Amino acid sequence: MPALKINHERCTECRMCYIVCREIDINAVYVALEPLHRIEIDMEKCTYPGCTACLMYCPAEGSIIEVESGRSLVPPPPEAWQEA
Amino acid sequence: MPDLPGRDLARELIDKSEAESRSTPVEAVIAAVREGAVDDDKAHRLIGRLWTLERMFYYIYGGWGQGLEMNDFPPSVKYLFSKQIVDESTHEMLYLDAQLKKGFVATQKDAFRHPYGSFSVDSGLAYYVFSLRNLATYPHSIRIAALNLGPKILELGWMKGLAEAIADPDLKGVFESQAVENRSHVNMGRRIVEEFVAKPVDAELCRWACAVAKRDYGRFLGELSAFVLGHEAPAPPAPRRQVTD
Repeated sequence: MPALKINHERCTECRMCYIVCREIDINAVYVALEPLHRIEIDMEKCTYPGCTACLMYCPAEGSIIEVESGRSLVPPPPEAWQEA
Repeated sequence: MPDLPGRDLARELIDKSEAESRSTPVEAVIAAVREGAVDDDKAHRLIGRLWTLERMFYYIYGGWGQGLEMNDFPPSVKYLFSKQIVDESTHEMLYLDAQLKKGFVATQKDAFRHPYGSFSVDSGLAYYVFSLRNLATYPHSIRIAALNLGPKILELGWMKGLAEAIADPDLKGVFESQAVENRSHVNMGRRIVEEFVAKPVDAELCRWACAVAKRDYGRFLGELSAFVLGHEAPAPPAPRRQVTD
């Protein structure tokens, strides 16, 4: 299954992905338990490509990437706007 | 480094708070954790109440932010305050994540609805929140002295003890990972008091506000400890105080 991860070289830690993921009760985005408290995505909970909500809200180009292909999904590619 | 006007006051407030930091009511919770007497329900009570307090910091800091005027402090002071707001928000997220990860609640909405995470006006928690919010009408240096050199130092102390006592890696991480930020808030408080509290009247206000904040935080911690351990002891009656604003 394709999966998402945060690219910390580009992520601004604005937390929009966290907020939207909580709001729709998927709860895959979380705060890492380390001093930097970076945002991470729990692959066990993330339902991508079924859900692409975080990609729609993320304002920082290149900050969410597909694990397998390594391609950036922010801004979302055309297929992300289609139903899975 | 040049002699800063508030250096002695900052040292005085820090020393006093550090001396009190390992004698708060949370020590009873730490002892219960060490004895293995804190089950999932008690852990949920602890995390739920701390999450509720962290949520209320949006309200407290909202009031404080409104009281920051243009040019009353250098931009660096305002930047540090904005960093503190973000950190407090991060801690709120950590407590919510912990409730979800441990399965205490299924969703964020459940966490808000659950009695352990609900805000009640008739509580020690609310008393402390309104006490801090009341400092919105005081200069920023005084309210930062009150919080960052008072309750923040107490929190740093009990949280370190609690993190050491907890074996569960998820819950341990919640408390352990906050230390860097909490310590930076104390250092920020020290810097602001050292640089910006110069007049004797302001020093007296800092001592007063810090004592009030610690007293009210102690009331919250007493309520928290009793709630977590199932003692449900009522908080001591609130002292009568005049409303001045």
